[in-house]
Amino acid sequence: MQTRRSFIQKTAASTALLGLGGFSLSSFSKPKDTHITILHTNDVHSQIEPLPNNHYKYPGLGGFSRRATLIDTIRKNNPNTLLLDAGDIFQGTPYFNYFGGELEFKLMSMLGYDVATLGNHDFDNGIDGFLSQLPNAKFDFVSANYDFSNTVLDGLVKPYKTFIKDGIKIGVFGLGVELDGLVSKRLYKETTYLNPIELAQDTVRDLKEKEQCDLVICLSHIGYYYKNNPKKVCDLQLARNTKDIDLIIGGHTHTLLPKPTIEKNSAGENVLINQCGKSGVYMGQIDFYFSADGSKTANGKSILV
Amino acid sequence: MILYKIEGKQLVTDSTLIDNQKIADIIAPYKKHLNEQLDSVICITPINLTRIDGRLESSLGNLMADICFELGNPIFEKQTNKTIDFVLFNYGGIRAPIPKGSITARNAFEVMPFENELVIAELSGEKVKELLHYLFINKRAHPIAKLSLKLNTETYQDVTINDLSFDETKNYFVLTSDYLQEGGDKMNFFKNPVSLHKTGYKIRTAIIDYFKKVDSIIPNLDKRFTYAN
Repeated sequence: MQTRRSFIQKTAASTALLGLGGFSLSSFSKPKDTHITILHTNDVHSQIEPLPNNHYKYPGLGGFSRRATLIDTIRKNNPNTLLLDAGDIFQGTPYFNYFGGELEFKLMSMLGYDVATLGNHDFDNGIDGFLSQLPNAKFDFVSANYDFSNTVLDGLVKPYKTFIKDGIKIGVFGLGVELDGLVSKRLYKETTYLNPIELAQDTVRDLKEKEQCDLVICLSHIGYYYKNNPKKVCDLQLARNTKDIDLIIGGHTHTLLPKPTIEKNSAGENVLINQCGKSGVYMGQIDFYFSADGSKTANGKSILV
Repeated sequence: MILYKIEGKQLVTDSTLIDNQKIADIIAPYKKHLNEQLDSVICITPINLTRIDGRLESSLGNLMADICFELGNPIFEKQTNKTIDFVLFNYGGIRAPIPKGSITARNAFEVMPFENELVIAELSGEKVKELLHYLFINKRAHPIAKLSLKLNTETYQDVTINDLSFDETKNYFVLTSDYLQEGGDKMNFFKNPVSLHKTGYKIRTAIIDYFKKVDSIIPNLDKRFTYAN
């Protein structure tokens, strides 16, 4: 399975070799195997400090200052790391009620978050409240299915963002949950919710064909699965009805998956879904290993979860 | 480059991880300010306010329902030119007592940790009958205001709404939370109301605003919801 991008890269390299015939082969560094680490949180809900020691389920767990230590350790092991959040950054402790999300965005910036998507609670101080805190976020927000064009966020939230880490191009796009019924219209104003599966298909096509991404990641706040409403659009449906997404990072349903779910997409290929509960008690880690020459791929792609 | 292996796992953030001091230093002044805000005395209560000091009513339930009427009604009037007829919340929605003495905003966060907001559902007389029947079947101290009734062994009796006898042919504007209106605690009579108005005013904000407004609480166990004998 060679991507078009890697094919073009190799073609370009051999052309260069031919043109510079006088140099020995050793002057060109051979492409090395590489490894991309994706770290992710969801539904942190303003949990700045660890949960209280009398918490019914997770006494004393979570907290930004400890998570910072964990992230630092992982980045030291692999600098090719992306840190992502799947929304509902806001609401849940008085830190949000008193400071409006300022501290959440400042700390996420210090922890080196690369990109996030918006959850329904990120509208809790209105779309204007979100905008007013945006200068504190040194990372971007992405959403492919919220149309903000008639709102103050017009142009500030892009459908996707791409990154290049050690020669691997990674596209990250966002999906948000239907706001009607969850959030008061007074808060989300003229934000338009569009069909997540349709917008995912369009965006993934852009990421694969136009951007030539090697890895496609969806930051989703549409929820993992609704047992009482199985027809409601969710991450499992998204995985099954799209193709070319490698990883769906979920949120909203506060689902703590014991391990990432492997689902078949519409082309029969594996897609990974992960979600890690709430309040920042857990953080997901997904590692993608790439081989430069294909020598390690004789047995096909393996997924170890 | 060819993808050949994917590994995935969940990492727990627990006390084996040491704090990143730079992050802790950023949090510290916010934490200090927050604690000062949350712990500054905004009101006094002469008794322990709980949800269990009456049989079908309670000092804390009555207070909560009265506060929400007192602060919610002017907002509703301003927004719609109508007035609230009565108030109903649920017993389970009172999450903590307020001990005798100083009241702080932290108490309000403990009593009402949820972000529920005040909504007004216009119910037909028929739906109000369902509501009264729910109170009869449930026999819990669900907080009410501007409504009074008694329960006998068979049914409810002596219902008054805003000091007037209950009129089955009338519609009533009932103040509750968005959570209950959407069917929380199986209060299904709130679903599909004749009309629905969302105030955008959070219950907790109303409680804090009230505590800031008055110097001390006057407990009010006025037998609004009792057994007939």
